[in-house]
Amino acid sequence: MLKTVKTKFFILAVISSLILLSGCGEFKDIDKMVFVSMIGIDESGNPDKPYKIILKLYVPTSSFKQNPAPEYSYLIKEGLTMAETISLLESHIDKELDFGHSKLIVVGEKMLQNQKNKVILDFLIRRPDIQMISYFAVGRPNAEEIVKFAPAGETALQPTIFNYFDNSGAETSYIVTSFLFDFRRRMKEDGISPILPIVEMDESKTHFIINKSIVLEEDKPPYELDSEKTLLVKLLSNDAKSIFYEVKRGDELFVTRLDTIKPHYTVDIKENNKVFIKVDIKLAGIITESKNSLRNKELPRYSKLLDEEMKEKVTAVIDELKREGYDPIGFGLRLNSHTLPKNRMNDKEWLAAFQNANVEVKVDSSLKSTGSIQ
Amino acid sequence: MSSKEILLWIMNQFNDTVELIYKPLELDNKKITVLYIKSLIDQELFQKYILQPFFEIDSEEKLQVYLMALPQFQEVPSKEEGLLYVMEGNVLVEIQENLYAIDFKLSKNSDVNSTSVETTIHGSELALSDNLMTNINIIRSFYHEPTLTIEYFLKGEVNKPKIAVIYDQERVKTTALNMIKEKLEEIDKQVITESPQFSNFLNHKRFSLFPQMLLTERPDRIVYNLAGGKIVLLVDGSPQCMMAPAVFFDFMTTTEDNYHTFVISYYLKLLRYLGIFVCILLPGIYIGAASFSPEVFRTEFMLTIAGSRMGVPFTSFVEVLFMLFFMELLLEASIRLPKAISATAATVGGLILGTAVTEAALASNIMVIIVSAVAISTFVIPVNEMAFAIRIVRLLLIVIASIFGLAGLTLGFLCIIMYLVNQTSYGEPFLRMYNYRKGDKKSEGQA
Amino acid sequence: MSRFYYYLILINMIANIISAVPTILLYYREDGAVSALIVGAMLGLVIVVIYTKFFNAFPGMTFPELLVKTMPKWFYYPLLCFMAIMWFVAGASTLITYTFLLIRYLTPDIPIILLGLTLIVSIIFGCFMKTDRVLYTIEIIFLINFPIIIFIIIKAYTSKSLNWDFIKAAMLHVVEMPNMNVITACIFLSLGVVNLVIFNRFFTQKQNFGLKQIMVVAFISIATIFTTYFIPIGFHGLKSIEEMIYPWVATSDSMRMKFFLIERLVYVFLLLYLSMAFLSILIHWHVAVELFKFVFRLEKIKYKDIPIGYLIIILFFTAASLFLIVTLTEYQLFQYSKYFFNLTAVNFFGMIFLLFYIARRMKGAKDSKN
Repeated sequence: MLKTVKTKFFILAVISSLILLSGCGEFKDIDKMVFVSMIGIDESGNPDKPYKIILKLYVPTSSFKQNPAPEYSYLIKEGLTMAETISLLESHIDKELDFGHSKLIVVGEKMLQNQKNKVILDFLIRRPDIQMISYFAVGRPNAEEIVKFAPAGETALQPTIFNYFDNSGAETSYIVTSFLFDFRRRMKEDGISPILPIVEMDESKTHFIINKSIVLEEDKPPYELDSEKTLLVKLLSNDAKSIFYEVKRGDELFVTRLDTIKPHYTVDIKENNKVFIKVDIKLAGIITESKNSLRNKELPRYSKLLDEEMKEKVTAVIDELKREGYDPIGFGLRLNSHTLPKNRMNDKEWLAAFQNANVEVKVDSSLKSTGSIQ
Repeated sequence: MSSKEILLWIMNQFNDTVELIYKPLELDNKKITVLYIKSLIDQELFQKYILQPFFEIDSEEKLQVYLMALPQFQEVPSKEEGLLYVMEGNVLVEIQENLYAIDFKLSKNSDVNSTSVETTIHGSELALSDNLMTNINIIRSFYHEPTLTIEYFLKGEVNKPKIAVIYDQERVKTTALNMIKEKLEEIDKQVITESPQFSNFLNHKRFSLFPQMLLTERPDRIVYNLAGGKIVLLVDGSPQCMMAPAVFFDFMTTTEDNYHTFVISYYLKLLRYLGIFVCILLPGIYIGAASFSPEVFRTEFMLTIAGSRMGVPFTSFVEVLFMLFFMELLLEASIRLPKAISATAATVGGLILGTAVTEAALASNIMVIIVSAVAISTFVIPVNEMAFAIRIVRLLLIVIASIFGLAGLTLGFLCIIMYLVNQTSYGEPFLRMYNYRKGDKKSEGQA
Repeated sequence: MSRFYYYLILINMIANIISAVPTILLYYREDGAVSALIVGAMLGLVIVVIYTKFFNAFPGMTFPELLVKTMPKWFYYPLLCFMAIMWFVAGASTLITYTFLLIRYLTPDIPIILLGLTLIVSIIFGCFMKTDRVLYTIEIIFLINFPIIIFIIIKAYTSKSLNWDFIKAAMLHVVEMPNMNVITACIFLSLGVVNLVIFNRFFTQKQNFGLKQIMVVAFISIATIFTTYFIPIGFHGLKSIEEMIYPWVATSDSMRMKFFLIERLVYVFLLLYLSMAFLSILIHWHVAVELFKFVFRLEKIKYKDIPIGYLIIILFFTAASLFLIVTLTEYQLFQYSKYFFNLTAVNFFGMIFLLFYIARRMKGAKDSKN
């Protein structure tokens, strides 16, 4: 008996909630929404409206096989704050903007130099619908050109630039992948500096080139690392999968392909506040190209040459970072992880201590073969 | 009343006496009277076992002893019983002031059918027949336990079919048995023709969505469930039987699970459960993803959906209902198709629901795929009763998803699980995960 | 020990990963949280062991029945009333947290009352089920969702973006004095066991609760606390994690499923937690309804033969929850949750003395009967 009463109440409750709902407009069909693919933030040059937002929107194609060429539409606007600009942009288009699929945020190079990073980051994190796993990159010369560019061979499936970053397409180690949450934690924490990839186009304007990076630090201008230094920084951060590395020592010139890379570093602080950084890299790989012909039993000698070359280059990179005062690898963080809270240094103290740090690099490589020929 | 008066009374119950044969036989000093309905008895048996001995045995006492020794012999306690026996195909014999009934019923439907609804790859293809006696014969020959108990009831005032309740005395769940017997006493329907009707009669509730009794036509399944303690109900004239109490997992097992090796049967069970999830949730997920939260799925996938929905004039929810409606119509109609038209109907269904609808942009491509996937996975469920219930549940979930989105879909699904758990089938909880390792040992009780 | 017992404990722990507990823990991260985690875990274990051993001594009896046998009426009626309200608040806090979460991330356009009403309507009719059916529901829904939970946790631990340096840096804060609010929040995680006040009805046989079972519970408790506190820090850094209002939602947004149909893990996480929150509210409100039923004898209140007692309870729960949903802000929710956790911890520790007293009186009654 109780069950029939309960069933009746249940039906009553459901019907009443249905009636309440018939006015609500949550139901929004997919053809009334348009997906945003990328967001570009640029310096507009206008001091009253400093932000220029470029949105790249997907235009869905009904039959992929018949017209595989991608179609996009763009929305560009300048404004005083970013949120206001975006809400103005929504009035420029008949459908609703859906940011849930935007996977890339490109910031123009000039924007970075204005120290507005914190504001941009705040806007991006505060909105709940922008993915925290969006890629974050710097556009050269400016974000608008990068966002509007569709390289040759791009299909309507997804923009090719995503393949650069997610290691499912190209697997090179020159590309720094920086997620939004990673960028945020590097900006806000002590002991590690944000590093962003630089996206530029080649001269013929047919492809992207992404192999440099830029390191940021508060109250300092952004510092650019060229491709080789980017590679080494990635190697030290345990982010490199397999790299081609050229060794030029004495008479020998050969290129190795290293696929086992195990970097390990310890950061200690000893008497009178001197920082000691010990870096220990283990490498293993094969030789893929050489000027001279090689002999298999000389492999230990080639490994030694590789050791020396790598050690020289790595020490050079770390010294440069030390000198300029940037720490994208996170030595400060490593130091913090084993000092008591009351003894920890904040960012500025760390960078000052880093400048006088004593760096020792040791490389241990083993080359397994000389390829198919000797 | 004397036997002769009983016979006269019985004859008076019938208005039409063309079929009813009343024959007094007299030879030398043997005198018997027979009463029977011509179309019900097997005339060859009648001639062989009654007429021939009548002429061959010399004395009346010997004839009476002979009749009492016949295997088809039954006593007639009262005139109502006598009437019933005549209706069932007995020959009433009046001899020496005693009235006896000899069962010469001619059953034309006693052949064993082959399975039509529950087919398996391995295992026997024989199903129950329409005749109650044949069915009991089959069951008894499969189940050789002396504790197998069969009780007969007569229900249904107009057509009074024989109803048999079969169970294994030792293993049966007594609470369920008592409940069923109690409810059987209360039935006062007029016409009972098929055993599936019992699932309505033995149930107090008016609106019940999920079946409480298991319907089957396979003897191996019956025997398996009898050994597990279920009660089987058979009705004369119906080739299916009902089993109670039934729990949710009974509806999802086939008899083949015992024939295959462990890994294979596990894989098949997994497939079936995934089929049920797909069947219930897929249209709801499509509506939720397309209209409420398009940011949930991958970008490429959402672009494909957006692309294939281009040009469709309806909202996704109307589109889903429209396609589902046609699919349900097709399923209903295909049961009743005459064989001559079945090929045409298949083409019509395939063409309409498939290509033409997409070409005319009345529904998107993805919708067609979803509807076909849903249609196929509905029939993965081994017992059809549950499949019908699942179709209604799916409809409910579509409505909920259209109103509340993906979160509502999840909540609706959880509510349905709660509803199922709350059901009881004759004392057994309907949905409950059994602890197979511990067997029957109860480490917790009912609360 | 029966597996249903572990479900009760686990659901309480897992469902609180999205509630106010991690926010409270992370708020005090530089103020004594880590040491308080250890203290809280130990105290929680103590509560679990005492309560389980107590209820194990009286199999099949619920707490109200025990009170009727041993305490005077004027004592236990207010106590049970107070406990019922506390359980209601516990369930309501999960409900409000989850409604806010849904509004923010999944369906921003639905009016908030409607969302709350939907959740309430789907749960309230389950609270009136019998106790064993509630447990079967929990088992089935938990088994469906458990693989996803394990998957998310494994993905979090093996993710390349999880920076162990942050975790080590956070762990070194253990040298500070433990913070009271964090201790009570940790104790609240282990309070799944006090649902036994009603669920003990189901365990009609004496269970095995020896050292092995205690180890299992301790392991679960420590693993959950560690995951709840340290994983968000590993993903988001130590200093600025307090600007995340829902740390775990942001953490699951930082993980990516490259090859699956759903790319952003946050949606899987939210829907999974919908089920867990559903179960948690179901358990809490079932206990509350049962306690109210006992105190007010609700089945007997009839108005023209309709059992209106149940209707009163339904209306009361619905109205109170909706009122709270509409009037509370997130900050107030956080503050009140903090006070509520303090209250429950103190209350359940105090009840330990009551338990000892009841146990002694029951044993005395049993001895005098023999």
